[in-house]
Amino acid sequence: MAAGAWVCLLAPLAGALGITFAGERISRRTAGWISTLTTFVAFGGGLVAFFATWAADPEEREKVSTAYTWLAAGDFEVGLQVLVDPLSTVMMLVVSGVGGLIVWYSMGYMAGDEEERRYFAYMSLFVFSMLLLVESANFLLLLVGWGLVGLASYLLIGFWHQRPEAVAAAKKAFVMNAIGDATFALALVLLVWETGALDYLGVFEDVGALSSTIVNLVALGLLGGAVAKSAQVPLHTWLPDAMEGPTPVSALIHAATMVTAGVYLLVRTHPIFEAAVDVQQLAAVLGVVTLIAAGLIALVQWDIKRVIAYSTMSQIGYMFMAAGLGAYGFAIFHLMTHAFFKALLFMAAGVVIHHLAGEQDIRRMGGLREALPRTHVAFLVGTLALVGIPPLAGFWSKDAAISSALETGGALGWTLYVAALAGVALTGAYAFRLYYAVFHGPAHERTPEPHGPEAAHEAGHGEGPLSMLVPVGILTVLSAVGGLVSIPGVWHPFTHWVGESAEAVVEPSTAQDYFTSALSVALGLTGLYLARRAFAADRQLVTSPSAWQVLEHKLYVDELYDALFYGPAAAVSDVLRRDVEVPVIERSMDEIGSGTIQAGGGVARAQSGLLRTYAIAIAFAVCVLVVVFVAVR
Amino acid sequence: MQGPGIGWYVIVAAILFGTGALGVMLRRSPLIVLLSLELMLNAANLTLIAFARQQGSLDGQIFALAVMAVAAAEVAIGLGLIVAMARRGVALDVDQAQALKG
Repeated sequence: MAAGAWVCLLAPLAGALGITFAGERISRRTAGWISTLTTFVAFGGGLVAFFATWAADPEEREKVSTAYTWLAAGDFEVGLQVLVDPLSTVMMLVVSGVGGLIVWYSMGYMAGDEEERRYFAYMSLFVFSMLLLVESANFLLLLVGWGLVGLASYLLIGFWHQRPEAVAAAKKAFVMNAIGDATFALALVLLVWETGALDYLGVFEDVGALSSTIVNLVALGLLGGAVAKSAQVPLHTWLPDAMEGPTPVSALIHAATMVTAGVYLLVRTHPIFEAAVDVQQLAAVLGVVTLIAAGLIALVQWDIKRVIAYSTMSQIGYMFMAAGLGAYGFAIFHLMTHAFFKALLFMAAGVVIHHLAGEQDIRRMGGLREALPRTHVAFLVGTLALVGIPPLAGFWSKDAAISSALETGGALGWTLYVAALAGVALTGAYAFRLYYAVFHGPAHERTPEPHGPEAAHEAGHGEGPLSMLVPVGILTVLSAVGGLVSIPGVWHPFTHWVGESAEAVVEPSTAQDYFTSALSVALGLTGLYLARRAFAADRQLVTSPSAWQVLEHKLYVDELYDALFYGPAAAVSDVLRRDVEVPVIERSMDEIGSGTIQAGGGVARAQSGLLRTYAIAIAFAVCVLVVVFVAVR
Repeated sequence: MQGPGIGWYVIVAAILFGTGALGVMLRRSPLIVLLSLELMLNAANLTLIAFARQQGSLDGQIFALAVMAVAAAEVAIGLGLIVAMARRGVALDVDQAQALKG
């Protein structure tokens, strides 16, 4: 089963390198095919690994395969090793499967772009990095993958480098992620220091022996990394801006895979978090805060992609809540179904943007139901799955996640439960606000001139080529039926499968699950009803102007960070420039330079250029030296 | 030790050295300056050999051979420079070659 995992890991790397080195010798279309096919080869490898693990004895489903030892110091060893176990095979399939569909879709979406080859090389690099992240068998390799997905995300957000907003967004994403990477790396340093190991199995064995301070610090560091990567409060501000990247990038990196890496980390390192319960609960609380805040902000956004981005943050909030409460199977379950329906929503939004020649403002959309009938169905399925209407995928996974809060109980459990249910109503409201604004109502008069680089592609050609429609279709089916792998009271193959890697701490009963489902569907439909009523009355969901203002400024978090961090740093820099750099450093440099020149001028006068003067000087000096020498003796 | 005493050798060497030094300092023709340099080197050689004989050791004589080799190399370069100067029509006068004046 390790061979499949290695194929899965290395095929996208081969694709990225192949496209890079082939350069202009291959056509753009070939580059797209190389990227798509290598990703599907990776999916094939993932399938082999999955079924081999499935067929294996339950006791032997955890297998580490080492390619070579990378670092060795005493008995500390870190190697290039992959871990094949139920959790990593699921992640492999999600990443390479959804990734393959999205790369395929990009071939249609990016057709005609000047730099398609670069795009596909980056996409393959991303898929490789993400697979490295989920397959790694030790923390160091995990950190390598963690950094590489951040790099790929940076490169792809700033893909349209001629747009200043895109470059700024890429930089912002990189810096916010760097904060998380730093805390993550510090946690690893502590781990090496305390346990002398970095492979999962070695570390998890030693967790029990660590002092609670150390465990809490390590867990906090890991949580910092997870929060930054998954765009949770308080390091969430980069994700909405990241929508400057091409739409398939948003679908792949900022919805389906990379942003869920934080959830994967929480589940993968659950023994550490279980030893630091406070930090684990903090993760759940942050998740719930994020899901409420993001749901509120999504109510007032005008950009179609930003609404979906806030929805992503909010859904990852549910995953964080589940992982933080110890319902690991449900967290990964929601991660998978979310990958299906959120990628679907982004890709359907991409078809809409394509059709409207780069228009992203929902105020200038409307009535697209007739023009894009198939996309309309896909988007509706995605939206219903997002809101959690049975029997679509989101219904099964989200309700399971929420009911674990009910099972946890206590003040914390109940607070999280109520807040998460309120989040469902918000989800229904913003999701259907978007749906109605885009597909219903009168068609908007379209401006003839195209907007932005997305319009470099031919506009207004219906629903796009087959390479866009087929992936959307497949994902529509997956979003519809993908949740049936875990039905409360009937069967739980998926959560049991993941549970072999990370055994759940809380397990809601079937009754709790169905009770939650009833509440959540009712709340989701309430949200739908509110959105529909507001749409029919042609008014907004948020009517109070002051509330609108607060939400439109995204709860002033960006402004707060500006005031807290950027402002003081810029002020200190200004003072340093005015009072230190210019008067001290710059002037001392000038002084050293001019002083040397002056001294040189003085010494130069001794250089007469007359050979005989030199000879006399030498003779004189020798005489003096001889006299001194003799006298001293 | 046969022959004149060591003092005489030193005196002759001093006279030779003084002549050479004066030549280097006072003459303007680069050719003569080179000749004078050779005189100074040979004065040094003379003392080396004289003292070597007095001490009965071969070190000084070997050192004198080394000095001769250096002197030959130096003359080759010096004469080459002078020939090059003459070919380019540069005046053969050390007082006029002042390009290195600071």
